[in-house]
Amino acid sequence: MQRIALVLLATLALACAPHASAVRQTSSTGPRYFGDVTPPVGNVLTFTNGAEPERIDPGVISGQPDGRVARAIFEGLTTPDPRTMEPQPGLAYRWEISADGRTYTFHLRPGLVWSDGSALTAQDFLWSWRRVLAPETASRSAGLLFPIDHAQAFNEGKLENGMQLGLAAPDDSTFVVRLAAPTSYFLFLTQYYTFLPVPRRVIEKYGARWTNPGNIVSNGPFLLDKWRQGDRFEFVRNPRYWDAQSVKLDRVVALSVDDINTCTNLYKAGVADWNTSGNIPSQFIPYMRDFADFRAEPYQGVYFYSINLTRKPFDNPWVRRALAYAVDRETICRDLLKGARDPWGDLAPYGYPGYVNPPGQTFDPARARACLARAGYPQGRGFPRFAILFNTSEDHRRIAEAVQAMWKNVLGIDVTLANEEWGSYLQDATALHYDIARRSWIGDYLDPNSFLACFRTGDGNNRTGFADARYDAMLDRAATELDPGRRMAILAQAETFLLDQAPVIPIYRYRTSELVKPYVRGLYPTPLDTHPLKGVWIDHDWNRAPAVARR
Amino acid sequence: MAAFVLRRVLLMIPTLWVIATLTFFLMRLAPGGPFLAEKDIPPAAKAQLEKAYGLDRPLGQQYLSFLTHAARLDFGPSYKFPARQVREIIFEAFPVSLELGLWALLFATLIGVPIGVIAAVKQNSGADFAAMAAALAGVSIPNFVLGPALVLGLSLTLFLFPPALWEGPQSRILPVLTLSTAYVAYIARLTRGGMLEVLRQDYIRTARAKGLPERKVVFKHALKLGILPVVSYLGPAMARIVMGSIVVETLFAIPGLGRHLVNGAFNRDYTLVLGVVLFYAAFLMTLNLVVDIAYTRLDPRVELS
Repeated sequence: MQRIALVLLATLALACAPHASAVRQTSSTGPRYFGDVTPPVGNVLTFTNGAEPERIDPGVISGQPDGRVARAIFEGLTTPDPRTMEPQPGLAYRWEISADGRTYTFHLRPGLVWSDGSALTAQDFLWSWRRVLAPETASRSAGLLFPIDHAQAFNEGKLENGMQLGLAAPDDSTFVVRLAAPTSYFLFLTQYYTFLPVPRRVIEKYGARWTNPGNIVSNGPFLLDKWRQGDRFEFVRNPRYWDAQSVKLDRVVALSVDDINTCTNLYKAGVADWNTSGNIPSQFIPYMRDFADFRAEPYQGVYFYSINLTRKPFDNPWVRRALAYAVDRETICRDLLKGARDPWGDLAPYGYPGYVNPPGQTFDPARARACLARAGYPQGRGFPRFAILFNTSEDHRRIAEAVQAMWKNVLGIDVTLANEEWGSYLQDATALHYDIARRSWIGDYLDPNSFLACFRTGDGNNRTGFADARYDAMLDRAATELDPGRRMAILAQAETFLLDQAPVIPIYRYRTSELVKPYVRGLYPTPLDTHPLKGVWIDHDWNRAPAVARR
Repeated sequence: MAAFVLRRVLLMIPTLWVIATLTFFLMRLAPGGPFLAEKDIPPAAKAQLEKAYGLDRPLGQQYLSFLTHAARLDFGPSYKFPARQVREIIFEAFPVSLELGLWALLFATLIGVPIGVIAAVKQNSGADFAAMAAALAGVSIPNFVLGPALVLGLSLTLFLFPPALWEGPQSRILPVLTLSTAYVAYIARLTRGGMLEVLRQDYIRTARAKGLPERKVVFKHALKLGILPVVSYLGPAMARIVMGSIVVETLFAIPGLGRHLVNGAFNRDYTLVLGVVLFYAAFLMTLNLVVDIAYTRLDPRVELS
């Protein structure tokens, strides 16, 4: 017993010795940083990746943490510019677009290889894209490939096989894509993870287990080295990557951390160099703004209330307008969220190239009351009680309480709150078992279509019961419009129409909330929260004054 | 003895069957399903997935297939992590939870028992009151308060330990402290109670009458029986500390099994939840059996029947 105690004490004493990163580097003048700013030893980037990715197979994934892993180890035809997200040559070094905007011909770089040394050809792209669309793959993101000719029919099982798909590989270095209609954002799509090439031989050999270390073969700047579930993914540089000399990091560590407080703690202690967006508790964001390493950039995500049109009285557009005009977004964002989010009355977030957002829904109590009276409920008399559904979260609750009070004060109607855990909430939102529900949508590509298409009749992400032939027709017209300016104008028209019909009440626009140590270089804020790691490096001398200043 | 153990092991089977059946149907009663997400899944894709996992078959058939596979310890792949078998997940994560639990329990016992003995021997003294007040505080502070407080003080202010993760001996300290505090306190109280009762017994009086030194009376004779409540507590405590480390595992980002149970339930990961629940149930029953056997070793008055 005594001996055990001694051993334990010795272990404790040993463990109490300060750990390596405890050496502080703080400066009394200049910008303030959140926590430790000592660069790591070597060219290693460690970041908090949020909850454990469910899968890392590019063709089937649909989340940010999954995507960060997939993008580190795979590269597609085009690759996003690290600052602007504009498509840059990736595996394709050039491409041609036909005059009708429907045919894209990609020319692959010569000598491309997979990490096992086998050749990577246009056939790999053809097989990978067809795999995403094949019904048996059951990819959640297959819809992103629908601009390709016959893709939707094939995905829905209406075609015998994939031979009719608008994809062709006339030779090893040429990949031709035929679209159903001109799609101005198609080159943005080709850099999305769903479009990444995957190794056919390995997938056919290992099935769902092909992404495990030891099995996986990839083609991106990094290779998967280690994976421990609930703990981390580790990557090393890929010597066979076509642009290997541009890759600066030797190792990348993606920590799988469920709890966002823990993510922030790891960053503060200097264990993580980058706390990816969304992994800061929202109540800390106002306080974080004082630190130079905090970034809050507009992000293409919108938080909105969704109205169930299949329930009375929400089938009446005047009721929906009344609810929409009675929501004071400014107050919610200023007082409740302390400026961490931007009030937003549009569906498509701001900043899409060439797109001018319509004026959107505004806070207008008088108009709200007029709309409600017109719907047959003057001063809210006789309005049935209904509930706001949200999934368990302190922020969702506070916003719902604020909206509840606004509807009571402005319209005189009574609303209850319905809080459900995630699975039940999803079930009810999907099955239209709700009156009003909190929802959000994050764009997949830099185009308003990424948002507007959700509310087409019968779209799986519609979840409001909104079905309007006029709206669908506008989107169809935009899809076939060749002139980019005219196309955007039609989309803006569609958005105006949708916001007036008000199956949704947008509340705020997201901002990224990330922490990046000052010694991490090449990691820029982007509207897609996508960060190519290829050019990222660790500046070990970041804190040394420039030569001129020293003298 | 052998017959006793055999009977207990055989009794586990129907118990596990009841637990498996209850869990299976309760999971299916929960709203939603494993393939629902904020982003819609096309109906064709969903149908494919359900077919791949056999979810399109009648529930009774699914139940039978689950039972026959579970009997061979095969729970199939996880729904949320299809690249992994449930068995693999359990075998990778359980040793982590076990190590965390063992450290915490060892720490709790090594600290808690001496405190309890001192409090009992010096009953109603200042030391007794102080020890029991500390114990009360220890039991009362929930670990989701204690953990962040320790992280804030020892990790983010003094930079003594990493704030999370499970790598290297330093990373063990804060989670073990957080997890064990409540158990230290409870073990101290149990020891005190057990010791107080034993110290009043005739054979202790006899030992003292024989002229044995007090140290020998307390540690050799009294402690052996006085610690019995602690021993009987250690079995369930072991199970509770290993399974109940969910908060600590989440807080410190430790890749243990507790997180899988909770996340699995939220994600409606049917296979993962069933595998983990059955594993925990078997673990708990085994520990109870071990405790019963340990009883006979410590107290000759107890017989297995």
